[in-house]
Amino acid sequence: MKLPHAAIVAIAGTAVLALLPLVAPPYYASLMVPFFGYAIALLGFNLLFGYTGLLSFGHAMFLGFGAYGAAVVAGVFGIKSFEAVLVLVTLAAMAAALPIGFLCVRYVGIFFGMLTLAFGMLFHSFLFKFYHLTGGDSGMRVPRMNILGLEFAKYNKIEFLAEPFYYYCLALLVIAGLLMWRIVHSPFGLHLRAIRDNARKAEYLAVHVRRFRLAAFVISAGYGAIGGAILGFRVGLADPELVYWTQSGQLVFMAVLGGFANFFGPIVGALAFTLLQDQLQSLTQYWRFILGAILALIVVGFPGGIVGLAEGLRRRRARAA
Amino acid sequence: MSALIETRHLSKAYGGFLALDDVSIAVQAGELVSVVGPNGAGKTTLVNLLTGLLQPTSGDVLFMGTSVAGVGPVTLADHGLARAFQLIQIFPQLTVAETIGTAVVSRQKKRWRLFSPLAADGEISARVRDVANIFGLDHRLDTMAATLSQGEKKLLDVASAFALDPRVILLDEPTSGVSTADKHGIMKTLIEAAKTAGVQGILLVEHDMDLVAAYSHRIIALSEGKMLADLPTADFFADPRLIETVIGKRRGH
Amino acid sequence: MVAFANILVGGVFHAAVLFLVAAGLQLVFGVQKIVNLACGSFYALGAYFGITFIGYAAAAGMSPWLILPGLIVAGILLGFIGPPIERLLRSVYGRDESFQLLLTFALVLMFQDVFRFIWGSNPRSLDSTYLIYGTITSRDFSVPVYNLLVIAAAIATAVGLGALLQRTNYGRTLRATAENRAMAEALGVDVRRVYSVVFTLGAVLGTTAGALVVPTAAASLDMAIEFVIEAFAVVVIGGLGSMRGALAGALIVGLIRAYSLVLYPELEVLAIYIIVITVLLFRPAGLLGRPVV
Repeated sequence: MKLPHAAIVAIAGTAVLALLPLVAPPYYASLMVPFFGYAIALLGFNLLFGYTGLLSFGHAMFLGFGAYGAAVVAGVFGIKSFEAVLVLVTLAAMAAALPIGFLCVRYVGIFFGMLTLAFGMLFHSFLFKFYHLTGGDSGMRVPRMNILGLEFAKYNKIEFLAEPFYYYCLALLVIAGLLMWRIVHSPFGLHLRAIRDNARKAEYLAVHVRRFRLAAFVISAGYGAIGGAILGFRVGLADPELVYWTQSGQLVFMAVLGGFANFFGPIVGALAFTLLQDQLQSLTQYWRFILGAILALIVVGFPGGIVGLAEGLRRRRARAA
Repeated sequence: MSALIETRHLSKAYGGFLALDDVSIAVQAGELVSVVGPNGAGKTTLVNLLTGLLQPTSGDVLFMGTSVAGVGPVTLADHGLARAFQLIQIFPQLTVAETIGTAVVSRQKKRWRLFSPLAADGEISARVRDVANIFGLDHRLDTMAATLSQGEKKLLDVASAFALDPRVILLDEPTSGVSTADKHGIMKTLIEAAKTAGVQGILLVEHDMDLVAAYSHRIIALSEGKMLADLPTADFFADPRLIETVIGKRRGH
Repeated sequence: MVAFANILVGGVFHAAVLFLVAAGLQLVFGVQKIVNLACGSFYALGAYFGITFIGYAAAAGMSPWLILPGLIVAGILLGFIGPPIERLLRSVYGRDESFQLLLTFALVLMFQDVFRFIWGSNPRSLDSTYLIYGTITSRDFSVPVYNLLVIAAAIATAVGLGALLQRTNYGRTLRATAENRAMAEALGVDVRRVYSVVFTLGAVLGTTAGALVVPTAAASLDMAIEFVIEAFAVVVIGGLGSMRGALAGALIVGLIRAYSLVLYPELEVLAIYIIVITVLLFRPAGLLGRPVV
């Protein structure tokens, strides 16, 4: 049976990622853990942006829900099961996303962007100012949790991250990806894309525009929380800077870098950004400038991102053949 | 028997300006009713009121006997009123099949299915193919809407409205931008499609009086927000003053 | 009552600076429909450069009395960055708004390292030479005259901008281009040049505001990204595209910040965001903007 193109990409990608800890030093494997967090968060973000057409500049707030949620559930309440933490933070983020999204999806474009930015920064100032609750700018500690009920006590932090947790996160990404693939290719996903392309016409075809925008917002919040929990676990700390508006901007950067018009684009973007940032940071202290220049280059010249570039090359080669 | 769609003493004012003044019309089952009038007569306002986009200043809009004033296009589409636009409206990044499929998903009430693959749904694809067939678009199912020709886009726009299985369809200048040679062809396709699809009533807003004369059962003429006439076609064209008001004096004749 | 007048003047001073930046934002948005996330970077650039400029000028023997005009000159000199940046932004006019936001965000990132490169990671500040203008002191309060002069400068700018827009031919050209670009072009307006001029004017307003603020506040890396939020709050509250809105919004944000700093420190910025959200929800056009379609 001939596999569809996407399946080949997915399997190949997963295989490469699975082999990485075996061939690369533990440093790289543990570097990839945040990539998994961002990749999952971006899958959700792109449901909202690439598939529904809503650009949120406050999405990092849901990363914060994940990280701080993990700190609260595991640190404050002592529930050490990461699975339980994931479920709880996802539910919490989706619950918060309901009223926030309800208010925000009444608008589109720049107003939606500004509203989400405002909510994101509102959350940030809450985390920052109410330091009795949230630790202020020192953040909240995220203790080490058990995955699948196992403690892996004999592993130190780097070893743990490089092996068991790495594969755990890879599995999470695969599951999250499969789920999102289903969603995007469902009747629900079709209606989202119709909303993105022409909301007014969609209304006339009985598409429930506002309700579906809200649904996309809520789902993306859940994915964001999972990503944030992974990030919090990895760093061991939930930090208010995770929620600052420039972090939201970074998420958008990653999505556009990879190519937001494609399912795999955001994942590619997360990977590219993680590796790029790491390499650049060791090359120069002015890595932000280079990243900014890359973003500018993409916006001006390659709006399809890395995946768009790759597809363009593929098409050109097919035509030449 | 209640009319499919009707307005009762419908008025719409924008500040001091009266766009529509006490207009009462009805479309019965089996009818094709045309609304004609010069630009600015209030046709667009009437259509927007009928599709629930606007709230009337006074009077009511009824669909199958229920008031639908200002409920919005989504609810009305759910109830069975579809609208095709004057200016072509498409989903640029969706294929023909997906465009029609959007309406089919709504009609088959499958919109909240998040986890079932769209491609595997035989019911949806069958219906999409049927509708595409009626409009001659079945060979273009996998084409992106943005790359279609103008005529094909127009057909797609109307096809997607038909895919809703509406009781009443509102055609807003469906042949505008179409060459004269094709106009009758399109109208015939539309009416045939309507019959096949089980559409019970058509409201047509048109400038082209040839088409109006050829296909309408009744003609409603608007001028400056008021209803000038509501007559069967033959009677309408028998009155030269009416024709003059609607399309202006013919030069030289 | 002791603190009251101090808070009031402090708030109005902050509002004056905010107004200058917001006016720039409004101009650019009104005419080119671009939302410039890098406005905070222009502000920080003005601050850093102001310090350097005054440093050189003082070493070259400039009289300390000339600090205020000196800072203004510093801000205006930076106008040279306007045209090239506008040229860059030209590639995203007419494209999806997201790309605009992203391109200006890219600028923010780049500027951060430019600041780091030229001025280092630590905050910079001027010494208290500005106090040469004196301080008005009474039993209840003490306020540096410099602050009052800045407020006066902001008022003068507001009046000047208003006159430019409403009473000059060029102002009419600007408003026409803002209203309907195609029409303006058809009527012979060199829209490209208008865009370049407007963007540069907006940039200069931002850099000058930053320059004016440095006697009282340090220039730091955080400045650029923190200020953006406040500037946007002003623009949202006042109404996108409205000059008078920039004035109203600036006063509201400036005063709220000043008061809550003293009375409810936890609420300081929270209050501003809550107001922004409220305005966006109930009157997205802002207090004085045009209604949203």
